Amino acid sequence: MPELSVTRTLQECVNEVLEKMFFIDCSGEQGGELSPEAGITVRLEFEGDPPGVLFLRVTAEAARDVAGGFLGIDDKDLSEPQIGAVVCELANMICGSVLSRIESSATFRLGAPHIVSSESDSGEPGRRVQGAVPDPAACSAAYAAMVGEGRLVVRLDLEKPAWNASARSAF
Amino acid sequence: MAYRILIVDDSPAMRTFVRRVVALTGLDVSRCLEASDGREGLEVLQREWVDVILTDINMPGMDGEEFLRRLAGHETFCSIPAIVISTDATRQRIDRLLALGACRYITKPFLPETLRAELEAALEVPCA
Repeated sequence: MPELSVTRTLQECVNEVLEKMFFIDCSGEQGGELSPEAGITVRLEFEGDPPGVLFLRVTAEAARDVAGGFLGIDDKDLSEPQIGAVVCELANMICGSVLSRIESSATFRLGAPHIVSSESDSGEPGRRVQGAVPDPAACSAAYAAMVGEGRLVVRLDLEKPAWNASARSAF
Repeated sequence: MAYRILIVDDSPAMRTFVRRVVALTGLDVSRCLEASDGREGLEVLQREWVDVILTDINMPGMDGEEFLRRLAGHETFCSIPAIVISTDATRQRIDRLLALGACRYITKPFLPETLRAELEAALEVPCA
């Protein structure tokens, strides 16, 4: 599956998850940076064909919006642990949704999403994603979206290009 | 008839969401019990009867696959319909979980209407 298709799949999955499970309509753009602005960054590793890692970064405003939408709680009543847990769940759903579409017929296994507190833990968060893939055999896609007054960026790093069953059968 | 539901998921946020969506479905639910993994789910079932189980797959401790195996092998619990809720929508995984005894499979993300339809089917609720 070409890199652009992975990016498009990522975009579709983010929008679908936010709409159905968080009751949020968002507008977004392909590409984007995991910029070091204040917020929450979640890292989620997965095994599969191919394996890889997903990063989700949300600004504080977007984090409160998604947590409030998911739990049905007013922003002012949300605790920090609740917000963190919901952002982890959002990463889990986006990752599972994307992998279900791009992985081969083999099943995948998601690791536990966790909040990364430091820049060094989060995998070069300031690095430009599009057009800057260090390993030519790897594949990276990113999607940025506005969520209310905040911003959300998702980056998916695959250890090799993904080939789903339908793409593979074309060769 | 008021139904009793068991929600098994390691994420408290997800359990809260499912409980909330169950309430939105309008089904007559008298109680939503919760467990954070399969082992805790079996403990709940030892002391409380439920009409339907909603379970995640990927959980630390006893995961959803082992939980379904234990339910299927139990003389009483095997009669409780179990619905899987998971982000994994691969055909292989769905087929395996259904073969293990799950009666329905819901993939995340899902709409409240989907959960309602699957619950009604599992509970064999008569059409209104």
